Amino acid sequence: MDFDFATLLFILFGGMAVGCAVSMVVQRNALYSAVSLVGVFIALGSLYLLLSSPFIAAVQVIVYAGAIMVLVVFVIMLLNVEEEARRPLRLIYLIPVAIGLAAVLIGQAAFILTLGGASSVNPRTTNKVVGLTSSVGTGLFTEYLLPFEITSVLILMALVGAITLARRATVARPESPADFPRRGEGLALVAESAGASGGGGVIQPGRTDATGQEVARQQIERNENSDE
Amino acid sequence: MMEWLNTPAGQATAKLIGINVAFVVVLLIVAYTVLAERRVLAFIQGRLGPNRVGPGGVLQPFADLLKFILKEEIAPDKATKFVYFLAPIIAITAALMPIIVYPFGPTMNLPFLGPVALVIARFDIALLYVLGITSVGVYGIMLAGWSSNSKYSLMGGLRASAQMISYELSLGLSLVGVVLLSGTLDLYEIVEQQSGWYGTKWNIFRGFQIIGFVVYLISAIAETNRVPFDLPEAETELVAGFHTEYSALKFALFFMAEYVNMFTVSVLATTLFLGGYNVPGLSLLFEPGSFLFGLFSVLGFFAKVIFFLFFYIWLRGTLPRFRFDQLMNFGWKFLLPVAILNVVLTATALYLFPGLLR
Repeated sequence: MDFDFATLLFILFGGMAVGCAVSMVVQRNALYSAVSLVGVFIALGSLYLLLSSPFIAAVQVIVYAGAIMVLVVFVIMLLNVEEEARRPLRLIYLIPVAIGLAAVLIGQAAFILTLGGASSVNPRTTNKVVGLTSSVGTGLFTEYLLPFEITSVLILMALVGAITLARRATVARPESPADFPRRGEGLALVAESAGASGGGGVIQPGRTDATGQEVARQQIERNENSDE
Repeated sequence: MMEWLNTPAGQATAKLIGINVAFVVVLLIVAYTVLAERRVLAFIQGRLGPNRVGPGGVLQPFADLLKFILKEEIAPDKATKFVYFLAPIIAITAALMPIIVYPFGPTMNLPFLGPVALVIARFDIALLYVLGITSVGVYGIMLAGWSSNSKYSLMGGLRASAQMISYELSLGLSLVGVVLLSGTLDLYEIVEQQSGWYGTKWNIFRGFQIIGFVVYLISAIAETNRVPFDLPEAETELVAGFHTEYSALKFALFFMAEYVNMFTVSVLATTLFLGGYNVPGLSLLFEPGSFLFGLFSVLGFFAKVIFFLFFYIWLRGTLPRFRFDQLMNFGWKFLLPVAILNVVLTATALYLFPGLLR
């Protein structure tokens, strides 16, 4: 393996990606994890640059580090997530499973590197046009137009679904007891006896304090729970 | 000498020297933008401004820098220390990184060196690179607001990130029209396409790009957190916003980052819309490619950039601050649709009359 400047950069950014990924999993503080993930995305973007795919690199940084993770950090800041306390390990049997999976992964990598032999195609030196802006654009809008459009529709569906879920259901604000849906009868507009404050016991629409008192009084009379 | 320059080591050394020269020039301009801002604002408000350090106050930036360096470093007790010190570094690094793609001038004959293009790096994605780096710069502000452990800082950081991710959309979309017309993202190539014909080939005059230009100018003010969109540091509400708890050199780094970002958006406006280093009619006076042609082109470039910097200062002296809901409504309900309209109009026009606009 020839040791040139690009290899040095690969080791640098690859190490940064792995280090940030480990840090992301290990951190107890949600914000530290998020910032580590940003580091992973920037390192991955740099690796794409080394593979002479500048457009993919730029999109990786703009979309993941610049947009998605900003929103994640924003939400963490907004909710002010507390540092997670160290819990006792409940799923202790997962540790040997994790070690086993890691061993399998390393074995696979070793197999690819030694037995399979490295690919003779070096993306750094051959096929210079694959990752350029124009070639990506041409590919997206000609050869891969259908998958591209289907993906857009999928994302649109996710967007509409999220808005539908997040939209507050429109509930009419109760103005008078008559607006309260009740089992069977509904509330009487005219109270029978003189109330505490209402005087004549007739509830005027819009007088919310009197309405509230009347509703509470009738609920107590009927002995029902107010929050149903 | 010439042979050595063509080796990889020679190329790297040349780039390194170029980067350092560009940094010094940009930082000097930034330092004097701060002074100009104080003097111009003072003039608008009927005051004098700083005029005591050196003749007319020309040494004021260096006095300020010395003061920042000599001040005591203070960090709040409850601050998250690592992130607290990391945030200004992220801010200034992200602000300075785009400098390498600015096209400062055309290919010119330098003494002893021969023809040199006055741009440090040219690559396929220069514009996306600038946008990507500036979008990463938001983290500096957000993390500063969060790590200071102060209510004002947190509010400032939240406002800044909400504002910047909202206006990034209209900013990016307003540039799509120019990219459609040019067919490239390489800033140097975009500028080269605008040369000739006495400035009528500048992108601002092509197609509907005047719309894109106005949308870009407004979004750029919001991106750099300047008046009238300076809600992240609204001093009547938030003391100083995200950098309330920062002092000494750390504060200076944020301050510098803000002005370097101003410089960046001014350079992008110049490069993409106003023909970059092209000066109308200059080829009548000097032969293109000669030393004097290059020199006056560079001066033209900086004159345009300084005009935009002055424009931002002028706005600051003139306009009151927006309310936050007005800011969000304006960005999402007005600027974004107008930017999308510009993209649709330009794409349609390019499809129907491809010869007219190219």
